[in-house]
Amino acid sequence: MKRKNLLFVAFLVMIMMVVAACNDSSDTTEAEGDGNGNGEGGGDEEITLEFWTMQLQPTFTDYIEGMISDFEEENPNITINWLDVPAADLEQKILADVSADNAPDVVNLNPSFGGSLAELDATVNMDEAVSEEERSRYLDGAWEANQLDGETFGVPWYLDTAVTLNNSAIYEEAGLDPEDPPETYEEAKEYAEIIQEETDQYGYFPSLDLSLPLQHMELMGVPLMNEDGTAAFNTDDGVEVLEYFTELYENDLIPAESLTGDQREGTNFYQSGEVAFGVNFFIAEIQENAPEIYENTVPSAAITGDSGKKNMTVQNLVVPEQTEHQEAAVDFALFITSAENQVEFAKLTPILPSSTEALEDPYFTDVPDDAEPIDLVRKTSAEQLPDAELLVPPMDNFNDLQTVMHDAFSRAMMGEATPEESLAQAEEEWNEIVAE
Amino acid sequence: MNRQKLTPYLFLIPGSIILGAFIFYPMMRAIWLSLTEYNMIQDAEFIGLDNYETLFQDDLFWQTLMNTFIYLIGVVPALVIVPIFLAVLVNQKVKGIGFFRSAFFVPVVTSLVVAGIAWDWVYKEHGLLNYALELAGIISEPIGWLTSTSTALFAVMVVTIWKGLGYYMVIYLAGLQSIHSDLYEAARIDGANWWQQITRITIPMLMPFILLVSIMSSISAMKVFEEIYVMTGGGPLHSSETLVFFIYNEAFANLNMGYASAAGVILFLLTLILSIINIKFMGKKGNLT
Repeated sequence: MKRKNLLFVAFLVMIMMVVAACNDSSDTTEAEGDGNGNGEGGGDEEITLEFWTMQLQPTFTDYIEGMISDFEEENPNITINWLDVPAADLEQKILADVSADNAPDVVNLNPSFGGSLAELDATVNMDEAVSEEERSRYLDGAWEANQLDGETFGVPWYLDTAVTLNNSAIYEEAGLDPEDPPETYEEAKEYAEIIQEETDQYGYFPSLDLSLPLQHMELMGVPLMNEDGTAAFNTDDGVEVLEYFTELYENDLIPAESLTGDQREGTNFYQSGEVAFGVNFFIAEIQENAPEIYENTVPSAAITGDSGKKNMTVQNLVVPEQTEHQEAAVDFALFITSAENQVEFAKLTPILPSSTEALEDPYFTDVPDDAEPIDLVRKTSAEQLPDAELLVPPMDNFNDLQTVMHDAFSRAMMGEATPEESLAQAEEEWNEIVAE
Repeated sequence: MNRQKLTPYLFLIPGSIILGAFIFYPMMRAIWLSLTEYNMIQDAEFIGLDNYETLFQDDLFWQTLMNTFIYLIGVVPALVIVPIFLAVLVNQKVKGIGFFRSAFFVPVVTSLVVAGIAWDWVYKEHGLLNYALELAGIISEPIGWLTSTSTALFAVMVVTIWKGLGYYMVIYLAGLQSIHSDLYEAARIDGANWWQQITRITIPMLMPFILLVSIMSSISAMKVFEEIYVMTGGGPLHSSETLVFFIYNEAFANLNMGYASAAGVILFLLTLILSIINIKFMGKKGNLT
């Protein structure tokens, strides 16, 4: 009898779960249908906009809140709910909320993640939502950074171009002139050799995290893909890129951590005085943690290759397709990225505005004679902006593709395959992913 | 059913609802999702067993599965055996034993992120471990513990073991204290030495605890994630990537929820089989079944 009862309860629970599971599979369809919000921005209807930023609190709390109250004053019927999300959680959070049909109205993303949302048709097309006049306020390169398959999925907000940071103390110890830092990959290698010989230290930390191998390829003049998205990198030039990094790695000219470590790792190496130079370090962090190294830092134009290009990083504002107040949301995004608001933002931290008008501000072109390294970083960064572009544009299956290239670099550098074999394998894997 | 018979079930309802909502429902849903193509935003599309088919042809899946088994084989014996001796050690009635007990337990309550960063420094090319080994003349060139495909997985295993020892030690300690001291007295009168007391009394009496620890440690070894996420990110070249890391990557980086769920179902089945083996094999000795 006891056993029978137990079975009965177990059976009931099973039924309950199956019913629940079935139910749920059908309710995901609900998300469709809404989203084409229309024309309520200027009306009297009470609107609340949910606005998410990526890790701006607490440093920029006053700045963001100031903008929000300005906007609310201009638009009394609109209330902005601001939520700041840690960078590491943002992707998961937006995904979870979009899938729960609970997306924010305006969200700050980077192009690669904005691109993966756009790939799922979850973003508002800014080419349609923003007038030509408004669009022309932005730097072309920055606007185009938020495009996937010809559609613009976001408005560019703030930008950055990476610069090289050089530790002049190590340069001097090695008998090198810090005012004449390496400009190309070849020079970087020569400098690394000299520094290793003279000081027994690492010269160069080329970060190879995530999408950076793709970036190195582009910088060294190797196009990544053909028009149809298939791999274009398996050429003699492409093999040379892998040979270059393999040589650095095998001759112990770069720390082994540069293969696996992220930007933070590179910054750690630099601020602990273990490497002489590199691109993509966090200057603000160095200023705070290692004042002595910071004082010795000389910024210079980013190391580049045959392409002569510089990379631009872009932060954008995306309006998810699910918003019920599309017009108001787009207006708010345009307001935040106005020239005036952007200059104010850039004065708080070393970033560059995406607005051409803001870039003409003397703050970005002239620096005082007693300029600190952080001012010089801003100036160097602004100077290379005209040559800069988002080298690795948003693409479908971005994560898979960047893993393919990272694996290709790793295999060659760790001696698991020759550069030729490794790149050929990468080409095959890349094309398989694209064909899916 | 009369009232009296119904009462126990009423008491079971709150717990069942919580378990149902947070454990069983997500489980069922994952099984359903594993049969679909789902990216969290667009509707899930039923594709039958396609995900499983792709999974079995995915080299990376097999590699991560292999890594998971290596992890299991390396970590579980250490976590089952070493804490017994630690527990015997801290079960002595010595002055200040409380200090040692807490010292062994500290890694358990240390945040894995903090521990990961600290171990990162130990393993660095110019880190503590290489320094010590070079000083002792064991190696002449520093070893990239976390940056070489042959050592990364093992380096992370050490951290898992280091972190788990104290936890399982406490479980064994509870077990040790439930063993009556008359048993040892009788054994001593019969002339048993220390080792005989351990093998004839301590270990047999601890059998239920050993069973518990082996199940718990193998489940946690199968699910290892944080150490890897913090210390190596699965690299270099996926050499330290385990199944859960693979699932995480597919789900949250590549947005292949259906595919990730399929891998999750496989992980569930493997864990289930493992636990059944554990109970069957150890249960005979542990009298738990």
